[in-house]
Amino acid sequence: MERTQIVDKLQKIIATVVKHENFEMKNELSAADVAGWDSLTHMVIITEIEKSFQVKFKLKELNKLNNLGNLIELIQSKLS
Amino acid sequence: MELFLRLQQAINTFSSRNAFCINATFYTYKDLATSISKIRKAIHSGTHEETEKIVGLVANDDLETYATIFALWFEGKAYVPISPDAPKDRNLSVIQQALLVTIIDSSEQPLFPEFNTIASKKLPDCEIDLVPKKVSDQELVYILFTSGTTGQPKGVPIDRGNLTGFMKSFEKMNFKMDENDKCLQMFEMTFDLSVVSYLFPLLYGACIYTIPKGKIKFNYIFELLDEEKLTFALMVPSILQYLRPYFEEMNFPDLKYSLFCGEALSLEITKEWSVCVPNAKILNYYGPTEDTIYCTYYVYNRTGENKTHNGVLSIGRAMEGTMTIAIDENNNILPAGENGQLCLGGIQLTPGYWNNEEKNKEAFFYIDYKGEHTRFYKTGDLCRFDKEGDILYLGRLDHQVKIQGFRIELAEIEFHVKSFLGKTNAVAVPILDAVGNTEIGLIIESKPMGTDPLLDHIKTKLPAYMIPKRIQFTDEFPLNTNGKTDRNKLKQLF
Repeated sequence: MERTQIVDKLQKIIATVVKHENFEMKNELSAADVAGWDSLTHMVIITEIEKSFQVKFKLKELNKLNNLGNLIELIQSKLS
Repeated sequence: MELFLRLQQAINTFSSRNAFCINATFYTYKDLATSISKIRKAIHSGTHEETEKIVGLVANDDLETYATIFALWFEGKAYVPISPDAPKDRNLSVIQQALLVTIIDSSEQPLFPEFNTIASKKLPDCEIDLVPKKVSDQELVYILFTSGTTGQPKGVPIDRGNLTGFMKSFEKMNFKMDENDKCLQMFEMTFDLSVVSYLFPLLYGACIYTIPKGKIKFNYIFELLDEEKLTFALMVPSILQYLRPYFEEMNFPDLKYSLFCGEALSLEITKEWSVCVPNAKILNYYGPTEDTIYCTYYVYNRTGENKTHNGVLSIGRAMEGTMTIAIDENNNILPAGENGQLCLGGIQLTPGYWNNEEKNKEAFFYIDYKGEHTRFYKTGDLCRFDKEGDILYLGRLDHQVKIQGFRIELAEIEFHVKSFLGKTNAVAVPILDAVGNTEIGLIIESKPMGTDPLLDHIKTKLPAYMIPKRIQFTDEFPLNTNGKTDRNKLKQLF
């Protein structure tokens, strides 16, 4: 899957869960930059990503993520 | 030995050991002692000794915030935690209700510049002074404000006698703790489970690991358990719900004690969790803020049967010094096997709500208990005692719900929603999110409309965990057979 496709899908998932689009899909984006992305919504976002991309993350992998760039790389590594 | 003397002694004895790990930085007991002493000196010179027994504390995640608590206690004073993340309106309501004059704040810029502020990060060095002042057991240690049905949070004061009584009862469990232990502190300071999480480890010279702001809590807890090899962890059960999809990759043999409190704990998830923590003793605690942190416990049995109701683990029996009874509507004590309201009495019971006689009359009462005129508190929890004296938790008698252990009066949410909507009716209900944790749903009696202005408004009045996550509309609220709004039917809209 192309990187831009992954970014598109991710944007839709995040926007649906946090219910707004006030964030920019740049590599440095972190949960703290997105209003409404907290402990409660994080799980939902991750579950939606797993469903949408048909992948399964380990918590250890998720914990190493610092920003959106890392998340995209992780998804790419799972898809390849 | 007296609690505050023990604390002083532990801080002296373990001066070179780590007391806190905050955002990956370690602070020794000596660092803690230095910080306490500086803040203490500033309290001494910056607050009125007699009239200012209660001081505000901006609850940041740093050494100074913790040191402030002990500085106040050693000075014979109490703290009121103020969450920097809560809406300003709500904080001002707390400040006004508690009649605070001074606020101790470790933030770079003071959060409440209109009040007398002690900037705890910017104080000059001074000599170490940890000698606790001798004051009566009736002096307060903290006041916590919890959700109130009238739209205003209500204050629960806890005094030195309550806290001392709590610690004495808790330690009867004979926890094997020493200066090598590593303990989790996952709670906001506005939540009283924080008190046991920071105080208990310090009495033994152990190290406390906090959760930095902005981190996803359950992720960070997993990291601490996995990498720092924590030995003692008190958590709310909703953390387990989040971790559950990853239980397979979890193995924490170093964890000796795994405690839960704040919400119903399901047997099924406890069973699965017990595999991840093969050497831990698992304990389920129960208790409202009014009875100091927690007051009953149930020890999970790894090898045999466990007592449950609807899959929820029993809350067990009273800790020493606490009395538990179930009563009917006329305040008669019920025998084992009958359902009734759980009431609590004993050493840990608050002297009563802060300046709120009306609530006190509703919630506290005297009854003859084993031949003695005894004061009890009505918890609003429905329970049943079994023949052996273990308590089964059956649910709430009112519209209070728990979100990640935080007590929420649905009426407080409805109050602020309705005051914004004017004549339109609205009802808040507890619903389940994707992993099975509780969140708030809101139903508005109207045609669908934009809700951003409403949400923006209530966000200035209520903390984040009280904001409805989903909103539905309906033309007319259904009524139940008693002619009241049928909340269960409304819940089904989600």
